[in-house]
Amino acid sequence: MSKKNNTAKKVRTSFVSIFKRLFSFKRSEENLFEEEMLRTPGKIIFLNLIHNKLAIIGFVGFMSVFLFCFVGSRIFPFTPTYIELTNSSLRPSTNYLDYPAELEDKEIVKIVSGVSFSVALTNDGNLTVWGTECNRYMRGVSDLILEIPKEIQDANIVDIEAGSRFVICLDDEGNFYGWGHYGNDQTTVPDQVQMVFDFLNVKIVKMTAGTQWTAVLGDNNCLYVWGSMQARNNFLIPLALDYRIVDFAASEDNMALILDDGTVEIIGMRGTEFYDRVPVALTDGSARAVKAVSTNRNVLVLDDEGKLHIWGSSENGLNRLPEGLNNERVVHIASGYKNFVAIDEDGDVFVWGANELNQLKLPENTAGFTRVESDFFQFYGLNDDGKIVGAWGNKGYIWGSDQFGRDIFSRVMHGGLISLRVGAIVVIIAITTAILVGLTSGFFGGWIDHVLMRLTDVFESLPFLPIAVTLSFAIGHDMSPQNKMYLMMVIIGLLSWMPLARLIRAQLLLEREKDFVTAAKALGIKQRGIMFKHILPNVFNLIVVNITIIYATGLLMESILSYLGFGVQEPTPSWGNMLTSAQESVVIQFFWWRWVIPALFVVAAALSINLIGDALREAMDPKANER
Amino acid sequence: MLRYIIKRIIILIPVVIVISLILFQISKLMPGDPIRAMLPTNMRPEVYQTAYDNMARRLGHDKSWIEQYFRWVSNIVINRDLGYSTMFNRPVIDVIGEPLRNTILLNVFVNIFYLSIALLIGIKMAIKRNSMFDNSMQVFSIVTYSIPSFFLGLSLIFIFGVHLRWVPLGGMPNRAMLGEGWPLISSWIRHLALPVVTLTIISLAGAMRYVRNAMIDALSQDYIRTARSKGLSEKVVIYSHAFRNALIPISTVIVVTIFALLIGSVVTESVFQYNGMGLLLLKAVNSRDTMTIISMNLIFAFVNVIAVLLADIIYGLVDPRIKLK
Repeated sequence: MSKKNNTAKKVRTSFVSIFKRLFSFKRSEENLFEEEMLRTPGKIIFLNLIHNKLAIIGFVGFMSVFLFCFVGSRIFPFTPTYIELTNSSLRPSTNYLDYPAELEDKEIVKIVSGVSFSVALTNDGNLTVWGTECNRYMRGVSDLILEIPKEIQDANIVDIEAGSRFVICLDDEGNFYGWGHYGNDQTTVPDQVQMVFDFLNVKIVKMTAGTQWTAVLGDNNCLYVWGSMQARNNFLIPLALDYRIVDFAASEDNMALILDDGTVEIIGMRGTEFYDRVPVALTDGSARAVKAVSTNRNVLVLDDEGKLHIWGSSENGLNRLPEGLNNERVVHIASGYKNFVAIDEDGDVFVWGANELNQLKLPENTAGFTRVESDFFQFYGLNDDGKIVGAWGNKGYIWGSDQFGRDIFSRVMHGGLISLRVGAIVVIIAITTAILVGLTSGFFGGWIDHVLMRLTDVFESLPFLPIAVTLSFAIGHDMSPQNKMYLMMVIIGLLSWMPLARLIRAQLLLEREKDFVTAAKALGIKQRGIMFKHILPNVFNLIVVNITIIYATGLLMESILSYLGFGVQEPTPSWGNMLTSAQESVVIQFFWWRWVIPALFVVAAALSINLIGDALREAMDPKANER
Repeated sequence: MLRYIIKRIIILIPVVIVISLILFQISKLMPGDPIRAMLPTNMRPEVYQTAYDNMARRLGHDKSWIEQYFRWVSNIVINRDLGYSTMFNRPVIDVIGEPLRNTILLNVFVNIFYLSIALLIGIKMAIKRNSMFDNSMQVFSIVTYSIPSFFLGLSLIFIFGVHLRWVPLGGMPNRAMLGEGWPLISSWIRHLALPVVTLTIISLAGAMRYVRNAMIDALSQDYIRTARSKGLSEKVVIYSHAFRNALIPISTVIVVTIFALLIGSVVTESVFQYNGMGLLLLKAVNSRDTMTIISMNLIFAFVNVIAVLLADIIYGLVDPRIKLK
C-alpha cells in the first residue's frame, strides 16, 4: 500500500516539476534529486571548473598573459632590429626625467645628461643629480653616479659635462674633477696633459665627454683628448690646427673643429659622412661658424648670421633641416645623441631626428623656452630665468634594458607572441599525430597496431632534450632564423605525442569491448560511424587534458632550447632567447632584470596552463564526481 | 618468468635497430666533412684529391650507406669503438668516461633525496587526502612542474652563490689544487649542492603526485577495509598493507625516472657548468663533434630502452598477476 502510494507521489511530483519547468521562470524550488538528473556531463565538468579556485586563478592568469602579449603588442609596436648600444643593461625605472623640486627656486646654468641620469649646475656653483644609477661599484672601474663625491660638493663648480656613464666638471680655480665610470681614466687629467697645463698655464674653456673619453679645449686654443685608446688614436689633432681651435663638437668617431677664421675642420675616422660631407660654405670662408653641436653621426653648425649648416648621415633625417626652419634666424642650437634642437628668434622650438625614445614628444606649451639643455636622450626646456619649464625624452625603461639597449618590456610582450604561438603549433602537431596513431592503432589492431606501437616505443626511447638539440643542430645549421623556429616547433611536436597516443589507444581498446559498441555493431552501423559517433567523444576528454600538458611542456621546451641557443634566433625575441644572456655569470650577478622577467613570464604562462589542466582532469574524473 | 623477460627483449630488438638507424641518418646530416677535417690543407689539389679518396676508402665512406651503417654498428658491438672525437682528439669512449661518472654521481644523490622525500610526502598526502597539507603540496608540485629547470638553477645560484656566497657559482672541484681527503670532499659537496637541489625539486613534483595517487588507490581497496575491520593499527594498515601494494606501480615509475634523470640533467649541468654528460653534449654540438654527439644520443637512447625493459621486468617480478599471463 505504502509502496503504491509512494510511486503515485513520485509520478505526481515529476509531472508537477515538468510543468513548473516549462511554464515558470523561477527555479528556486529544485531539489537535489532533480538537479542531479538534469545535468549533462559537460555541465558537471563546467560547474566543477567554476567552483575550483585554482582553475579560476589559472584561467585569469593565462588570459592576462595572453592579453598582455596579443593586445599589448598591437598598442606598443616595435622594431626587432632596433638597438641602442649606449643604453645597454639599464635597470628598471622610469624616473630619468623626474628632476627634484628644489631646483625650482634656483637658477640653472647648465643641465647635462648621461644615459640614465642628469646633472644640473646651478648658479651657486652646486650640482644636483637625479635619474637612475647606471653603474655599479667596482674598484678601479666605476663609482656610483648618483653619489657626488664630497670634494666636488664642496667646490664651486663652473662647468660640467656628462659622458654616457660619467660626469666631469671644472671649478672656479680651474681644477678638473670627475666621477662615475672611470675604466679608462677619463675622469682625471693624465699626468702628461697636466704637465702641459702647468707649464703653459692653460685654463680649460670647454669640455666634452663621450662614452669612454674626455676632450677639453684650453684657452691656448688647443684640444686635448684622453680616455679610451680608441678615442685617443681617433682624435689625433694635426699640428697645423694647434692654437687655432675656438670651438668643437664631437661624436664617437669624428670631431668638428671651428677654427679662429670661422671655417670648420673635421678630424677622426675617415670615410664617414660626418667626415666627407662638410658644406663648402664652411670650408671656403664664405660663412663664419660660431657654434657647433653634433649627434652621434651628424653636425649642426650655427654661423654668425644665424643660419644653420647641417651634414652627416641620412639616418633619422638628420642630414636635413626640418621644414619651417630654413629661412629663420636661429638663436639657440643643442643636440642629443640622435636629435638636434633649434630655437628661432620667434621662440619656436624645432626638434628632429630619432623618435624611438620619445625624443620628439615635446610638451604642449613650448612658448617660454629660451634654451634647451639636451644630452643623450633627455631634453629639458629652460626659460629666461634658468628654470626648467618642460622635460621630455627617455623616461627610462620600466623593466630595464638588455645588452643591446632594447626595452625589455616590449621585448617580453612581442617575445610572448612568439613563445605562445610556438606552444600552440607544437600542440597542433603533437595532438594530430597522437590522434592519428592512437586511433588507427586502437581501432584496427593486429599488425598495424603492433607496428605503430613499436614506432611509439622508438620515439619514446629517443632522449627528448639531447635529440632536440642534436636535430636542430644537424638539420637547422644552415637554415634561416625563420625556418629554424618552424623546425623547433616540429621537433618538439614530434617528440611529445607518444603518451597521448598510448592513452587514446588504451581508451579505444577499453571502449571497444563495451556494450554500446557491440549494440551499435549489431544495429549494422558501419565501423567508421561507430568510431566517430560513439567512441571519439569518450576520447575527447583525454585530448582536452593532454592539450594543456603538451602546451605547457611546449612552452618550457621552447624556453630551454632557445636558452641553449637552438631555438628562436635573434633579433626576433622570444621568452627563451631573452634568457640566453643569462649564461654569462655577470648577467646573473648584476643584471637580474634581464633574466628574471622573461623567465617569470614563462613560469606564469606554464603555471596557469598547468592549473587549468589539473582542474580539468579533476573535473572530468568520474570517480571524483560520484556522490 | 624467463619466458616473459625473453619476450620483452625480443620486442625491443626492432626498436633498438630503428633507433640506431635514425641516429646514423642524423650523423649523415651533420654539417662538416670529417675527412676534410682530418687532412692537412697545404697540399696540391691533385695530391689532396688522392689523399681524400684514400682516406674515404679507409673510413668506408665510398660504400653505400647500408654498408657504412653495418660497419658502424659492428665497430660498436665488436670493438667497442664509438668513433673519434674531433673536439678532444681522443676516442669517444675515453672522452665520455669522466662526464659519465660525474653525472652518475650527481644522480645518485638526486635519486636518494627525491625518492625519500617523495615517498614521505606522497604517503602523508594520501593519508590526509584533501587536507590543507595535501592541497598545498599539490599546488607546490604544479608550481615546480611549471618552472624551467634552468630558471630554478639560476635563481638558486643568484641567492646562494651570488648573495649569500655559500657555494661556488658553478664548475667542478679542482683536484690538482685541493689534493685528497677532506678539502676535496667538502669542495665536491659545495659544488654538488645546488645541482642536486635543483634536480631534486624538479623531479619531486611528478613523483610526489604519483606516490599519492598510488597510495589513494591502494587505500580504497577492499583488503584495506578488511585489515581495518580486523582491528589492525592504522600504522600497520598504511605501511604494511597499503604501501606494499602501492609499491607495485611506484616501483616501475621509479625505475623509469631514475634513468630519465640521467638525460634530464642536460640543462641543469649546463647552468652549473657541471662537467657531466649534458655539458659534454652541448660542448660537442658547439664544436661540431659529430661522433661524440651521435654516440651520446645512442647511449641516452640505450639507457631509455633499458629503463623500459627493467620497468617491465620489475613489474612482472613484483606483481604476481603479470607472470600468469
